[in-house]
Amino acid sequence: MNYETYFPEQRHLLPLTIFRRDRLLPVDATGSIEVARGDRVDLHTVVARGATLAPFTIIEAARVLRLRRPEQLEEQLQVQVGEPVQAGELLAGKAGRRRRGVLSPITGTVVHIGDGRIILQEEGENLIVEAGVNGHVVDLRRGRGALVEGIGAVLQGVWGNDRRATGTLRMEPSNGFEQVSREALDSPFHNAIVVTRRPLNMTSLQVIINQDLLGVIAPSIEPELIDAVRASPAAILLTEGFGSQRMSAILYTFLSNLEGRQATLDGVHPGILEARRPEVIVNVPLQSGEKPPAPRNDLILQVDMQVRVTRGNFAGNVGQIIGLPNTPIVLENGLRVHAAQIHLFTGETLYVPLENLEVFS
Amino acid sequence: MAENRAGSILAVDFGNVHTRAVLIDLVDGTYRPVGYGEVMTTAGFPHGDVNVGMVRALHQISHGTGRQLLHPDQTVLSPELPDRSGVDSFLVTTSIGRPMRTVMIGLTRDMSVASALRAVAGTYVQVVETLTLEDDRDESAQINAIILSRPDLFFLVGGTEAGAQSTLLQMASRAALAMRLMGDDRRRLVLFAGNSDVEPQLRELFGPYAIVLTADNVRPTSEREQPAQASAQLASAYDSVAEQRGAGFDRVAASSALGVLPTAQSYGLITRYLARVQGSALALDVGSAVSTLSAAIGDRSTTTIRNDIGLGHSAGSLIEASGFARVQRWLPFVIDDNELLAFSLNKSLRPGTVPENLRELYLEHALMRAGAEMLVQTARPLWTDEANANPDASLPPFRVIIGAGAVFANTGRPGLSAMLLLDALQPQGMSELLLDGNALIPALGALARVQQAAFVQLLEAGGIIALGTCFSVSGQPRPGKSALRVRITLPDGEVVRQEVMGGTLWMYPLSLGVRALIDVRVVGRGITIGGKRKIRREVIGGTAGIIFDARGRPLPLALTAADRAGQMPTWYAQATGDEVRPINPEWLEATARKKESSQDVMPPRKERSKQRRGGERDAKTEQRAKEAQERKVRERFHSGGSPQAADVQDDSQRGKDDIDELRNLFS
Repeated sequence: MNYETYFPEQRHLLPLTIFRRDRLLPVDATGSIEVARGDRVDLHTVVARGATLAPFTIIEAARVLRLRRPEQLEEQLQVQVGEPVQAGELLAGKAGRRRRGVLSPITGTVVHIGDGRIILQEEGENLIVEAGVNGHVVDLRRGRGALVEGIGAVLQGVWGNDRRATGTLRMEPSNGFEQVSREALDSPFHNAIVVTRRPLNMTSLQVIINQDLLGVIAPSIEPELIDAVRASPAAILLTEGFGSQRMSAILYTFLSNLEGRQATLDGVHPGILEARRPEVIVNVPLQSGEKPPAPRNDLILQVDMQVRVTRGNFAGNVGQIIGLPNTPIVLENGLRVHAAQIHLFTGETLYVPLENLEVFS
Repeated sequence: MAENRAGSILAVDFGNVHTRAVLIDLVDGTYRPVGYGEVMTTAGFPHGDVNVGMVRALHQISHGTGRQLLHPDQTVLSPELPDRSGVDSFLVTTSIGRPMRTVMIGLTRDMSVASALRAVAGTYVQVVETLTLEDDRDESAQINAIILSRPDLFFLVGGTEAGAQSTLLQMASRAALAMRLMGDDRRRLVLFAGNSDVEPQLRELFGPYAIVLTADNVRPTSEREQPAQASAQLASAYDSVAEQRGAGFDRVAASSALGVLPTAQSYGLITRYLARVQGSALALDVGSAVSTLSAAIGDRSTTTIRNDIGLGHSAGSLIEASGFARVQRWLPFVIDDNELLAFSLNKSLRPGTVPENLRELYLEHALMRAGAEMLVQTARPLWTDEANANPDASLPPFRVIIGAGAVFANTGRPGLSAMLLLDALQPQGMSELLLDGNALIPALGALARVQQAAFVQLLEAGGIIALGTCFSVSGQPRPGKSALRVRITLPDGEVVRQEVMGGTLWMYPLSLGVRALIDVRVVGRGITIGGKRKIRREVIGGTAGIIFDARGRPLPLALTAADRAGQMPTWYAQATGDEVRPINPEWLEATARKKESSQDVMPPRKERSKQRRGGERDAKTEQRAKEAQERKVRERFHSGGSPQAADVQDDSQRGKDDIDELRNLFS
């Protein structure tokens, strides 16, 4: 594998593009789709509604009623399959002191009656999936949601806390993220998605709660904060990773140019076989007649291409490819790998293994 | 199985990071690999379709061989046409994605369920729930547990032949009820490998909700076990689940006659074959998300898969499973737990990246060594009867040792690959070290099912790269003193003599395929080469030459980072032939300030004996603190990781097994 046949990792940083994104209920939820193919959607259009999977309770009703045969239960039933029931409600038999009856131990729904049993299911947590972008529905995903196409700016990160938020994009105060808390009550940061160039710490997590921030785009966190970040009510996206890296200048500038716009932060927690990335999407108005390009997913490395270094001493730096040797290079650590020669925008020139380069598309 | 004698074979293996393709064809009447392709797997963003990567890999092969392998619609062209475009057989293996979430249902843990666990050898299975008669949960709790575990597969076992029926049926009915309550329209898979008398009732019970596969009873009598057929059916189940997972696997499976096979079964098959030919074989594959260790000694073979050990996607869970200390003991510098955790978590975010500087290299290799240690410990008790009690016992001699995975294959330095394999497994005696640099083993495993001749010819023709023969010293040679006296007689009669010092590695650059006569004699007390004091043997050179490892077994890693900083860079230099790359002194100073650990800061010599006496208590206290810290880390990851991911199986066959078809070739 050399540069001619190597397809580099892509992490989008696109100021204006056509994108398509699935908006889906979680795998273990059940629900219904609320849109049709071709429908126009905006940030808050409900694409799908559903409920999380909830536990079942099995009641041996025939046994409680001391019936000789399970089929006899049918004559005693007070409820039907699909009927909602309250805790304490009579399910079968007769109520009263001296009468034998089967009462519901939970509030839920009757999901099955048979073999002398009544099976109830508790109520699951209600879920709503919003479009999160302005665009239109191009396809439906059976039972789970829809594929939405839109136009805007896309920035992808590396980690998220599995929450999503839509709000106005704001850059942190010039004297630091922690100063958000000192702003007046009518500050622009309330219900905003705030960008910080410094790693989050415990104080910043407290600021998020105190100021009701909807989301935060930050470069990194120390691993010891993972639990706290997961528990945070705000959607959080990391652009660099774990540790104490600061945000790349190119990312910060990119986001600065979008300040004040409505953004959707999708803090997807990355997993194997996950075709989504944690990202922020910002709808950008088009000039008349303008048609932005779709991302190119088949790029190979070429001289002059802009790339981002993802590992090593210059991780996070952006530069330009100035050389693509055909033969492997011996790195300073002794590994012999295919590499590209990169001139960083900070002035350094170095060889970087092909695997450690990302392109923006 | 009838053998297909048709010519060309295309095998594609989808890993979590890399997709590798190999084209195999008859060259002068013998099967040979004629083209390779390797690209990044495209299951994730932005493609979400493994076919994209496969097409890219096949273009690489076409570019190198001039042979067209794809239809215009980008599907594999088959059969081969007179103009040599296309292929006759197309085989697919994968280790990609999550394992099959499996609910195990059996009568007793010690009997049928134990046999069932052995049957899942070589398949990516995660047992998410187990129901047995010993389970004291009520029926609602059991059914909720099944439903919330979101299983792909129900594996039902239990009842000896002509034995219990009603209890088994009662348990099966719970599984059927759970399926009915799941409420989705997905048909689950049921694999039944219990008392065959109840099969008709089970088919009726599960018919509306599941596809029922059957296999021989894994425990036909209380004394006998036969997991082989169930194991083969699990491969079919895996194929079916892989298709359902999306990412384009349905299209790949439709093009391949055998569907999508689990990669790990190939390692089991290879080691079993090699053990029958050479006595014993061991294969270690350290992947991004999953690691596999297959061992075969004589007729006994085991495959151990750990979904929580890997150097990419599973780097974070590796730390969780191993604890920090196990990784830190392989580092020639001091690093605090937080930095180590950050490193491994970042690796899981960008699993395909490679170490760029010296510090990252040591960190990545330390993770690999710690992961391999755990894998060996998990597998070790199953290898031989004597070993059952002690997972920490030293490795028994293995005649052939195979390394696979990018950490071994992509160093670009054969000597370094060999040293990493030696460190990871610490073999004793004389071993042939092989490297599956082109990921041929997955292809071979699939090939063995359809073209046994090709399987054997490719193995014998050196389809797997020979790193070289290694002579490993057992015991503790004295550093700086002669440990081995080596005499190498080359084909032209030239004689090379070398004293190999204790604590060092020496690699003689005997060219690949060249034969030489080796006389090696152990010097010093208490050390041997696999129990022998001298060996005379003809060997064939590998890409790393011939390897003499006089460092000792167990490997005498220095106890302090400062001492390891003097020790490990020397080993790396000896393995690569490069100058020693010294450790930055600041990496050690930072340590001393940050860490108060006696493990990491070597006290002055005068104080050592004093500490040795009184320090044991301190060490224990410190160990307890360390364990508490590691418990915290485990808790932190509890929601994501699966500590029971150690799906250990012993697929000893001793009789009928799934390589019956190869038996003639073995003899």
